[in-house]
Amino acid sequence: MDLSIVIPFYNEEDSIRPLYDAVTDAMSKLDYSYELILVDDSSKDNTLKNAVDLAKEDERVKVVKLKKNYGQTTGLHAGFQNAIGKYIVTMDGDLQNDPSDIGDMMEKLHEGNDICLGWRVQRQDGAFTRLLPSKIANWLVRNVTGIPVKDNGCAIRSYKAETINKFPMYSEMHRLLPVINALTGASFTQIPVKHHARQFGESKYGLSRIYKVIIDLISLKTVFSSFNKPLFGFGTIAVISGILFLLTSIGTSFVWWNNPGYPLVVLLGTSALLGILSFTLVFLGILCHLIYKSGNLKIEKMYKLKTIRK
Amino acid sequence: MSKVYDLSAIVIYYQKYEYDEIKPLIESYKTNLDKTNLNYEIVFVIDGNMPEVLEEIKSIAQNNDNIKIIKLGRWFGDATSLQAGFEATEGKLIITLPSFQQVEADEIPKLVENLEGNDMVIGWRWPRIDGFLNNLQSKFFNYLIKAFIGTKFHDLKSNFRVFKREVLDNIYMYGDQDRFLPLWAWRLGYKVKEIKVKQHKTDFRQKLYPVKSYVTRGLELISLFFLIKFTKKPIRFFGSSGLIIFTLGSMIGLFLFIQRIFWDIPLADRPIVLVSILLIVFGILSFAIGLVGELIIFTHAKDIKDYIIEDVYQYPKKDDSNKKAS
Repeated sequence: MDLSIVIPFYNEEDSIRPLYDAVTDAMSKLDYSYELILVDDSSKDNTLKNAVDLAKEDERVKVVKLKKNYGQTTGLHAGFQNAIGKYIVTMDGDLQNDPSDIGDMMEKLHEGNDICLGWRVQRQDGAFTRLLPSKIANWLVRNVTGIPVKDNGCAIRSYKAETINKFPMYSEMHRLLPVINALTGASFTQIPVKHHARQFGESKYGLSRIYKVIIDLISLKTVFSSFNKPLFGFGTIAVISGILFLLTSIGTSFVWWNNPGYPLVVLLGTSALLGILSFTLVFLGILCHLIYKSGNLKIEKMYKLKTIRK
Repeated sequence: MSKVYDLSAIVIYYQKYEYDEIKPLIESYKTNLDKTNLNYEIVFVIDGNMPEVLEEIKSIAQNNDNIKIIKLGRWFGDATSLQAGFEATEGKLIITLPSFQQVEADEIPKLVENLEGNDMVIGWRWPRIDGFLNNLQSKFFNYLIKAFIGTKFHDLKSNFRVFKREVLDNIYMYGDQDRFLPLWAWRLGYKVKEIKVKQHKTDFRQKLYPVKSYVTRGLELISLFFLIKFTKKPIRFFGSSGLIIFTLGSMIGLFLFIQRIFWDIPLADRPIVLVSILLIVFGILSFAIGLVGELIIFTHAKDIKDYIIEDVYQYPKKDDSNKKAS
C-alpha cells in the first residue's frame, strides 16, 4: 500500500459522498495504490451510515467508528493506527480541501521531504472569525518555534508514515504535528493548495483556538527545548531567584546592622520567599530528571537521524 | 474441567464494612443468577483478614464448582479488590454484587437484560428508603459531581452493577475509588445506563459519617475533577491558575512600587508587600508544576489509552479480479 488517506468526520453526512467522489477522481489520475480511511468521531447524524455504504461499495474504503466524540486529534490518531500505507495524507471532512492537490504533495514527498503542508492561498472563510485568529496563530507558531509555517491551520497535509508514528498525539496536538516533526529535524516543504467555501453544515472552530495554541506551544517548546538544559530549564529561574535571595539577605543584614529598630519583617519575609522559590525550583528540576529517565519516550530518540554512510 | 462462563459475579467482602449473613444472601443471589439463563461463576474477594467469612465461603464452595475465592493479604480497598477479582474472572459479562442486602436480589435478571445496547448498567436504588439525612448527603455528593464533571449519576454508591468485560480491561482502578468506576467508563466513551431497582428494606441507614470520611471524599473529588478534565493538559489547569495568581501579585507589587516612588510611602512596614511577593512566588511554582505535569504526560503519552474504537468496517471484495488499485 503506497498511500493512506485519513479523513476524520464529525456530523458531515452530506459531505461524505462528494468527498469520496473527489478523492476517487483525483486518485484515478495517479498511479498509487491507496486506501481511504474515514474516521467517524461518533457523529449524531447519518455520517456513519453513509460512510459504511461507501465501504460496502468500495473495498479501498475503511471506516473507523469511535465510541464517543473525542475530537479531531483522537480521530486522526485512530485513523493513523489503522493506516497501512507508506505515506499518509490527512484532510478535513468538510470539502474545503481539494483532493486534486494530493498528486503535487506526493511529488514533494518523493523528492525526499518528510512532510508536505498545504497552504491555502485564497481562503474562503469569514475574515474576522476565521482569518484573523488564524493569522495570529500562525504568527505565534512561527515566532515561538522558529519553524516558517505559513498556514498551520490547513488540514491537507502529507507525511511519511514513519515520521508520524514516532510522535505522541494527545489533546490538540494534531495542529502542531508538522511543527513537532520539523522541530526534530524532519525536512518539510509547503505548497499552495486550493480552498473551497463550505458547502454543508457549520464550521466547528472559532476564536477560542488561539488560547489553546499558545498553551500548547509553551508546553511543547518547553518539553522540546529543556531536556538538555540544566534542571530542565528550571535551573535558570532558580539561579536568578537564588541571587535575589542572596542580595535581599545581605541587604537585610545591612539594614539591621546600621539602623537598629528598623522594621525587618517585610525584608526578611521577602528574602525567605525568594529562597524558598529558588530551592523548590531546584527540587522540581530534579523531579523532571527523574520523570524523564523513567519515562519511555525520549525526545532525543525522536530526532531524525540521517545515516550518511553505512 | 474448564468451562466458558458468560457471566462472572464478583462479591467483595470488605474488612471495613458490614456484611449480612452470608449463606442466605448467596442463596438468593444464586437463585436469581439462575434466572438469567446464563452460564455463570461467582468470584469472592475477601479484602483483608476475615477468617470466619473465609470459612463460611469455603463451605459453600465445597458444593459448587463454579465458585472461586480470592483472599487479599491485607485490606487494600474496594477498587483493588475489584481489580483482583476481575483478573480471576472468565466471563464475558461481569456483575458486582454487594456483600449486604443493598438491593432486592430479584432485580438481577432485569439488570442483565438492560445491558443490551449498553456497556454498563447500574442499579439505581429508587425510591430511596434511607433516612432524610443520608438522602441529602448523597444528593449533595451527586450534585457536586454533576457541577464539576458535567455528568449526572444518581447512585454512585450502588455496588449493584453489570458491565462488559472490556470496560475493566480498559480502565485501571485502584485504591478505594470503586464508586467512581461509572464515571471513568462514561469518560472513556462507554454507554452507562442507570435503571431503577428496588432497594432492600434492610439497607436503611441514618447516620453521619466521621468527619474524616467527608474530608477524604472531598479530596477524592478534587483529584477526580483534575484527572477527568485535565489529564492530557495539566498546564491548562496549573498554568492558567499560576498565570492569574502571578498577575495579581505583580499588579499589587506594581501599585506599591508606584506609591513608593511618587507618594513616598515607605514599604518596610507594610505586610502587603509580602502578600504580593507570596502571590508571585506561588504563581511561578504553580506554572512550574504544570510544566512538570506536561513532561509526565509527554513521556508517557504512548501508553495512555484514552479512546475506544467501537468498530472498523471494511468489506474486502471476494473476487480478486476486481482489484482496481495497483
